[in-house]
Amino acid sequence: MTEITKQFQRRFADSEVQAWNPRRYYLAVERDKVVAAAEFLFREIGCRFSIATGIDTRDGFEILYHFSHDASGVIYTLKTLVPKDDPQVASITPKVPAANWIEREMKELLGIDFPGHPNLKPLLTSDTDWEPCQYPLRRDFDREPHVKPKPWDDK
Amino acid sequence: MMDLRLWGLKKSPWVFHLAAASCNNCDIEILAALTPRFDLERFGIVLVGSPRHADALLVTGVTNRKCLPRVLRVYEQTAKPCLVIGVGTCACSNHMFTDSYNVTGPFSRHIPVDVFIPGCPPKPEAIIAGVAKALGKL
Repeated sequence: MTEITKQFQRRFADSEVQAWNPRRYYLAVERDKVVAAAEFLFREIGCRFSIATGIDTRDGFEILYHFSHDASGVIYTLKTLVPKDDPQVASITPKVPAANWIEREMKELLGIDFPGHPNLKPLLTSDTDWEPCQYPLRRDFDREPHVKPKPWDDK
Repeated sequence: MMDLRLWGLKKSPWVFHLAAASCNNCDIEILAALTPRFDLERFGIVLVGSPRHADALLVTGVTNRKCLPRVLRVYEQTAKPCLVIGVGTCACSNHMFTDSYNVTGPFSRHIPVDVFIPGCPPKPEAIIAGVAKALGKL
């Protein structure tokens, strides 16, 4: 446990801290605490927002916000789980501007909604050749209708 | 008239480098081919900043749904006749991305390609050999 995880647990009493190794900590919080926790790590501790990850797991969509504390070289990953039937979590972009594009990408590829995001437009998929509301990184996504014929089948 | 234009093309082909959603590895090798060690410029090959000045189009990467309209637009802007050279296995055959939902096939399905240079990434020597082969076709 570092001083920062102790501070974090004092502030967010119901959070769960897992030490992966001395330079990697997972801080699991409920999804209504995500914005406050991100603001705490970013503004008060002074961590740098590195990137976020969205994963389609069995229990729901897991969202990981990776914050790097450059002074000590430790990465603190803020972790939350959102249910699949209600995939939304408040956007941290108003507090952490660097999360803008990765939240757009998670919305586009996983279908997780981020209320409060200033500009939640598609980012990566084609604007002419792709219908919205198809989420390719979900486990139940059927890619077969989208895959073009193989080049070696060309005559 | 055509012979004169081909003659001009052969003397000093100006190349527009179009990175169509590549991983940048082929692009780095193309730049390596232009540096003094391999020195593509001794054949008069120069990179230009606009497709309107280009005699040859060097395309890297697997053409995905988002960048296919851009590739077609750049190809339409080049003055014809224009050599099209596909660099890297992605440009030749989609490489490992062939099962992806986002891939529109190798770009030879959409525009005519003169020379393919396979490799992941191709060595600068292979790129030079491919460009020389393309010039030999003229």
